[in-house]
Amino acid sequence: MAAAAGPRLGAEELGLLEKSLGLAKGNKYGAQGERKTPVLQTNNGPSLIGLTTIATHLVKQAKKEQLLGNTAEEKAIVQQWLEYRVIQVDGQSNKEDTRIILKDLNSYLEDKVYLAGNNFTLADILMYYGLHHIMVDLTVQEKEKYLNVSRWFNHVQHYPGIRQHLSSIVFIKNRLYTNAH
Amino acid sequence: MRLHVGAGPHGAKVLAAAAWGPPGLAWAPPGEHVVPFLTQPCLPALQLDSGAVLFSPNAICRYFFLLSGKEQDDVANQWLEWEATELQPAVSAALYLQLVQGKPGEEALAPVREALAHVDRGLAQRGTTYLTGDAESVADVVVWGALFPLFQDGSCLPDNLGLLGSWFRSMSQLAPCRAAAAAVLTPEGARELRAHLQRQPVPSPASKRPATN
Repeated sequence: MAAAAGPRLGAEELGLLEKSLGLAKGNKYGAQGERKTPVLQTNNGPSLIGLTTIATHLVKQAKKEQLLGNTAEEKAIVQQWLEYRVIQVDGQSNKEDTRIILKDLNSYLEDKVYLAGNNFTLADILMYYGLHHIMVDLTVQEKEKYLNVSRWFNHVQHYPGIRQHLSSIVFIKNRLYTNAH
Repeated sequence: MRLHVGAGPHGAKVLAAAAWGPPGLAWAPPGEHVVPFLTQPCLPALQLDSGAVLFSPNAICRYFFLLSGKEQDDVANQWLEWEATELQPAVSAALYLQLVQGKPGEEALAPVREALAHVDRGLAQRGTTYLTGDAESVADVVVWGALFPLFQDGSCLPDNLGLLGSWFRSMSQLAPCRAAAAAVLTPEGARELRAHLQRQPVPSPASKRPATN
């Protein structure tokens, strides 16, 4: 299981997102406060503060609004999981927190391809970046226990342009443990 | 569509935002497993006709505003993220001091001082009546709803934050906020909020948390 409180990606993660969106490099990110909240200084306006705020801004800049959801319902669901990412995933402080996050996501993803249903969105991208350091430490048995999370994670890491330099995590197709639950 | 509202501090927020939602929205009593995929009980929650469930109070508020054709811009997004990550932990800590430990006003408000000043500065920088412009937006409803359980009629707001005070009072005058306030400000509501806080782990404001790395 993952070690407590993984790395906060912040600026590095926003760099990955820019690249995956096909945006030219050039944004410089600062950080403020003890939570190291990312800050983006825009060219023609006040700075933007917060991971999900900046990520949403970058998606609009890249004119890929479909990644924010197509309907009111999908848009709300995308923002809900972005919030879950910064509050729950980044806020985890022990193994029990991590276990609950994986268990809940596993249950949620049981009948879904992606977090917002059938469409790949920004929520998948940021959740993938936020969970990478946790998934990398899971045992084969844990990956089987959280089968739906594993299936979703594997989809996202193979989505063109998302993974970049992050390590590819291996998931075994055939189950090794029959009593993983 | 059914809105489940519990005893927690998010009631005022979602009830006020519901004014922008569909007319005749049904409220349901809090059920045991409104959000079947979450381990921890989670209220408020909005069950949609598609079968999807929104469990984040801010996402519920966003959804109501989206239904009324109001999209969220960068400024609104930033207030909503700030409310969830910074303001909410501070308010929880202050409510705990006030309602569970019975600390006097000044002392109980210590965890939210910086957040209150942040709202005041935000209003000063934009020079607008509301947080994102000259009309109320989802950002105003969410931040007002977060502060409401702590300040209610606004009389305990710090005198030196004049813009915050006038913004809070004009929000409190809006019909949706007045209706939400009346719905949660009952003796039963107060008892339930206190019981809810007692069941939570002792909160610590974000700024007091050890830095994680």
